[in-house]
Amino acid sequence: MNKNSTWLIRREFWENRAIWLIPAVFGGLLLIAALFGRVSIPQLTSPQESRVAAAAFQGIIGATFAVVMSVYSTWYLLDCLYTDRRDRSILFWKSLPISDATTVLIKLLVGMLIIPLVYFAATDATALLAAFILSIRARAAIGSSLWNGEIWFQMQVLWIYLIVTAAIWYLPIAGWLMLVSAWAKRAVMLWAVLPPLLLYILERVFFGTKIVGHIIGRRLGGLLPVAVNDPTRMWTHGGGVVDNAAATSITVWQLINPRGFFTSAETWIGVAAGVVLIAAAIQLRMRRSEI
Amino acid sequence: MAPLIEARDLTKKYGAHVALDRANLKVEAGRIVGLIGPNGAGKTSALRAILGLTNYEGQLTVLGREPFRDRTQLMNDCCFIADVAVLPSWLRVDQAIDFVAGIHPRFRRDRATALLAKTQITGRRRMRELSKGMKTQVHLALTMAIDAKLLVLDEPTLGLDILARRAFYDALVNDYMDETRTILITTHQVEEVENLLTDIIFIDKGRIVLDTSLEDVATRFAAVSVVPDRLDAARAEKPFYERHILGRVVLYFENADPGKLEAFGEIHTPSVSDLFVAKLSGGAA
Repeated sequence: MNKNSTWLIRREFWENRAIWLIPAVFGGLLLIAALFGRVSIPQLTSPQESRVAAAAFQGIIGATFAVVMSVYSTWYLLDCLYTDRRDRSILFWKSLPISDATTVLIKLLVGMLIIPLVYFAATDATALLAAFILSIRARAAIGSSLWNGEIWFQMQVLWIYLIVTAAIWYLPIAGWLMLVSAWAKRAVMLWAVLPPLLLYILERVFFGTKIVGHIIGRRLGGLLPVAVNDPTRMWTHGGGVVDNAAATSITVWQLINPRGFFTSAETWIGVAAGVVLIAAAIQLRMRRSEI
Repeated sequence: MAPLIEARDLTKKYGAHVALDRANLKVEAGRIVGLIGPNGAGKTSALRAILGLTNYEGQLTVLGREPFRDRTQLMNDCCFIADVAVLPSWLRVDQAIDFVAGIHPRFRRDRATALLAKTQITGRRRMRELSKGMKTQVHLALTMAIDAKLLVLDEPTLGLDILARRAFYDALVNDYMDETRTILITTHQVEEVENLLTDIIFIDKGRIVLDTSLEDVATRFAAVSVVPDRLDAARAEKPFYERHILGRVVLYFENADPGKLEAFGEIHTPSVSDLFVAKLSGGAA
């Protein structure tokens, strides 16, 4: 990473203090809940059960952060090439020797990797502190700690894996958001949503099919099916009865499916679409300087 | 030496609207050039093209580069202030200095801090907390600390009060300008800049109407306060503009023989603003 990139990333943190403020506040709220909330954790009798409890605990905290993060990241990508055109500060940024491609790619990097990594760090800090607090408060009840080093390590692997695969899988979504951000004169949110919605409606009216809807739905919801093995299939026997023993011994290495993800045509079609959209955003960025 | 900026048939269209219509201009090194025109004349389009902010048709080289293609490299040697109000509101003064120092190879931090030390502005202030005049000072300090060959200013004092405007131009001439630099400045307020310019380019309806140095203006143009009974004779010499002030008639001539004009009345060299008015409303005379 060269010197300019470091400065450009720092600049994003200056401008968007919400990148770290939101996870910090959100983590703080979770910790306050852990400190003062009512604790009702069932008795954990076996090591197996406490493993599951630790995994569920860390998983829930991670998932809530992930939801907040995806909302914020979406907003960030939609806003990042628009605000400086609206307030005309783009004319200041463009007076410096930084190429438009660099600017766009750094913002993409921030939206798709750096923000998730900040949330990842917040997840870890919150989970660690909350586990510590809850374990002390509920020690009598649960008879063991909510902390489990091995589960923690497996969770780290899972989050990193999901951050990387999500950055690749959602590249076309990010590309679309940035294209709108570089193009729209106002109402970026509307421009991001309306054209796909309109396509969907027109297709339904004129052809009676749902291909557009299917493509978009699959892209939005398809990451886990493609990147992660279906855990319920591993847990269940033929008749669909959940095998508790199997469910509790499942490891991250069984869960993640990098081979499936990186050999899926869907992954690479998405990457190709993303590259095209981002290239278009760069071209627009070169030509549009003000609103 | 090749001109610093050279445009040939520079054209910029926005849909059906032609903002620049085969404009030709040249800017030599070491000059302070005013690009002057009424609102909507194509000044900003010309500047945007020169700075690589838009694509265009025709030929354009700035510091030997093609601006739209090579904007990034061009910005190593050229800096611009396009209206002073464009520093982002969330940026702190010290962040602005750190950032430009980190990014720009020719930025001299000591110069920027020295310039800011003369003002009331402290490093922790954000742009949104500063008055327009203060923002100008910050932007100027940032820009003047860059050792650039070309400085481009687009309506730099728009919205500033007269004190801030005067301070801006004084700093420009006294602290910044030297023989290694070239300044291109656009404005529609001619009076404000006419004392500091060495060259003028008039632009109207996307075309270059006049491109000359001020030394040449004196030999090329003449304004004559014509004695009433010589009016018809003077008019026969084809003035390009006629102005009636307080019962007197002033005729404007281009490339006329001064010996002949002397006979009609008192001759003087028109000011840039008078010449601007004369040139742009000329033809109707």
